[in-house]
Amino acid sequence: MSATHATAKILRTELKVGLEIHIELATRSKMFTRAPNPAHPDFYDCAPNSLVDPVVMALPGSLPVMNLIAVEMSMQVGMALGCEIASFSKWDRKNYFYPDLPKAYQISQYDLPLCINGSVEIPVSAGGSRSIGIIRAHLEEDTGKLSHELPGGVAYAGSLVDLNRAGTPLLEVVTAPDFDCADDVVTFGQELRNICRFLGVTGGIMQRGHMRFEPNVNVLLTLEDGSVVKTPIVEIKNLNSFKAVKGAIEFETKRQVEEWRATGRVMGKGMKITRGWDDLKGQTFVQREKEDAHDYRYFPDPDLVPVVVDDAWRARVRATLPELPMARRARYREQFRLSEVDARVLTDDADFCAFYESCVAATTAKGCFKAITDAGYATGKMLLNAGSKRANERNCMVQELGIDANQVADVLALREDGTVGPQAADLLFGFLCDTKDNAATVAEQQGLVQVRDESALEAWCDQAIAANPQPAADVRAGKVAAIGRLVGAVMKLSAGKAEAQSVNDMLRKRLS
Amino acid sequence: MSERELSIQDVRHIAKLSRLAPDDATVESMRSALSSILGHIAKLSTIDVAGVEPMAHPLALSNRLAADEPGATLPIELVLLNAPAKVDRYLAVPKVLDEGGA
Repeated sequence: MSATHATAKILRTELKVGLEIHIELATRSKMFTRAPNPAHPDFYDCAPNSLVDPVVMALPGSLPVMNLIAVEMSMQVGMALGCEIASFSKWDRKNYFYPDLPKAYQISQYDLPLCINGSVEIPVSAGGSRSIGIIRAHLEEDTGKLSHELPGGVAYAGSLVDLNRAGTPLLEVVTAPDFDCADDVVTFGQELRNICRFLGVTGGIMQRGHMRFEPNVNVLLTLEDGSVVKTPIVEIKNLNSFKAVKGAIEFETKRQVEEWRATGRVMGKGMKITRGWDDLKGQTFVQREKEDAHDYRYFPDPDLVPVVVDDAWRARVRATLPELPMARRARYREQFRLSEVDARVLTDDADFCAFYESCVAATTAKGCFKAITDAGYATGKMLLNAGSKRANERNCMVQELGIDANQVADVLALREDGTVGPQAADLLFGFLCDTKDNAATVAEQQGLVQVRDESALEAWCDQAIAANPQPAADVRAGKVAAIGRLVGAVMKLSAGKAEAQSVNDMLRKRLS
Repeated sequence: MSERELSIQDVRHIAKLSRLAPDDATVESMRSALSSILGHIAKLSTIDVAGVEPMAHPLALSNRLAADEPGATLPIELVLLNAPAKVDRYLAVPKVLDEGGA
């Protein structure tokens, strides 16, 4: 008798993941009506049911009208993901009853989505990069929100309906099942979030639910007789942090193998299962589904006419695309000679990246660097060192420290012409976070200007030699490395105002 | 489903999806009415439509798009006016089990 699911030896376990991502678009008004959109920063945290009009409530006689900007934002995302923008797409009704859905249908795009057939290149954990297929990206509307707590945290026995979110434009991106580990799914998710933030189409704030992830996970098991067993696909609903995405996929990878061991259940028609994620327990759990959840009876929405996109419209939207993170990283590596890691950090956040670019422009304008390569490199390094350090201390972003692009450029200029040394430049950067004063003035006030006065340098050097006889003797004996201690001592005596190279030269002269 | 008579179970299923609870006599009359509609659709699907553009909308219009300018909202009194139950600024409904969402 051949081995059963309980006893068969598994030679190989291969994970297969496809991803659905819901992105709330930050238009000012909703998808099909002009009630304000809570996914736009102007309307964050509005009082419950304050962003509601007759269309949102589905009052009789109200009719939907498409939001131009929502359509164009979706085209931008589609283009950034390498998709074709369909010449013809239309709207369908997805029918189901739920208290967060006043019309009892959601307007979506069923068979003719706006964006199709794209791909995104991401670096993968196994090394190198991989192309992730984008099957489609379609536009739809978000639902309202149900809660079970009254203001002040008092539990309520029923469900409380807030329709503010109902009708927010939602772009659903669907990838091919091209992932084989949780880390790569997270990398993709972060890249997608980054792309969308550079495009300015969403706030991208995960805690606000601006992006929600639904991985479809199953496992392929190669058994010792050479056969391959596929576990049933599980869709994990509504993950809104990258930690949850990673945790849920890794948990499912193990659970599905254990379940197959126990039951022998394999993938089959109608076997797709929905599970939720418990963040505290770090486990997925069986979710009670809406009854008849998959009988949505889609049909074309008679209240909305199709979207027809011609080449001129495509070209107009394409012309608005900014340089995307991937292209910027390549440019920072090639043009500015920054490392991959540095380039990644500089492009990790759209606002930080914009600040960096404005600093490079200011630095270049000062003309203190011969080549733009040097300006890009030195500015990047200053923001990543002096900037990141203080941003960490103050728990904010570098661009929020208070120092402006012109001040950053001035610090670099003062360092380049030798007015301040490297340590003093770092201190000066710090002072400029708290004042709008001119960098040169602050350097003067704070005593950061390098001392080039020979007699002062001589005095500090002699003092340092006298206080450190052993290193001084070592240098005299030819152990040049020992000079570091003495240079350090002079820097300390001068409170960082001496210039290291001159100190080095003078010490050598005196000890030769 | 287009080629055959609807069963009683089909009608009950459709009624359930629409949150209707028809009595037995209504189910039987609906079964016959819906079957005849489907029969008509079945007849239509015998027509050769090769080369005919599918019609997504009866009006020859496209791209009715509005500028993204926030407009008026309803005051909370009107939003909650017809609600069978309300709590604070919310419409209140019996508890539902899963979380909904798009």
